[in-house]
Amino acid sequence: MIRNKDKILNKEDLICAICDFSELHKIRNFIFSKALVFGFDENEANKITLAVDEACTNLIKHSFNFDKSKEFCVTVEPTSMKFIVKILDKGTPFNPLDVSETNMNEYFKDYRKGGLGIQIMRSVMDEITYNPSGIDNNENILTLTRYVIK
Amino acid sequence: MIGDNKFSIQHKEIEQVNCLYLRGYLDAHTAPVLESAINDIIGKGQNKILVNFGELDYISSAGLGVFMAFIEDVRDSGGDIKLADMKPKVFSVFDLLGFPVLFDIDKEEKISMEKFRKGDTSIKYIIKK
Repeated sequence: MIRNKDKILNKEDLICAICDFSELHKIRNFIFSKALVFGFDENEANKITLAVDEACTNLIKHSFNFDKSKEFCVTVEPTSMKFIVKILDKGTPFNPLDVSETNMNEYFKDYRKGGLGIQIMRSVMDEITYNPSGIDNNENILTLTRYVIK
Repeated sequence: MIGDNKFSIQHKEIEQVNCLYLRGYLDAHTAPVLESAINDIIGKGQNKILVNFGELDYISSAGLGVFMAFIEDVRDSGGDIKLADMKPKVFSVFDLLGFPVLFDIDKEEKISMEKFRKGDTSIKYIIKK
């Protein structure tokens, strides 16, 4: 489905999944393994894995509306100082950065519900960028970056 | 972290406290199972719930969301949802967003049980509106 995925990088650095929550564990296992190999300790690798899980959960829900006939892919592109995760999809663009940051004190005070996944992504990752599909690219790309030293 | 998508709950009632023992991975796929279990307890008019995380290896925001969905109603009725026996990696997810401010999280189940015995439900954890 992701047409240029083979051009991007080695297949070992890419995993694709069906848009179903039952696939999330495959993404988690992939990211956790890659984060450990990159050099993060288990605690850091767990947090990065969680952030990617949250991004994929939102994607399945908001971009694909749980359509199990669709799929998306996740790549890892490590550099010397950055661990970069890209989530590629052809669903309806959903930019998590459009969701305003949550004040957790207010959140608890009002007993609010939902929106915690994006808050986790923001807490864990150092950079989040979103490029919706357009003339130059036929995929939405959510990029989550974690620096070696935070 | 390496694991599958399995999740199960064992339910025991001890001294009128509904104890839920979570095992496995709690994410968007499995959170409805927990939601249903808590719904069943509340549906029976019971409001003292102790959740033991001893065998839980993973939680995402979908799991946190289940507790947020019920805590207000449970406390309004004079009960509480107390959380106990978390592995550090699970506690760190609660801690990441500040959940210990709102939820009573104990290191061991027996501490939570003792609080229920003493009638310490929610008073000190309520955030005043």
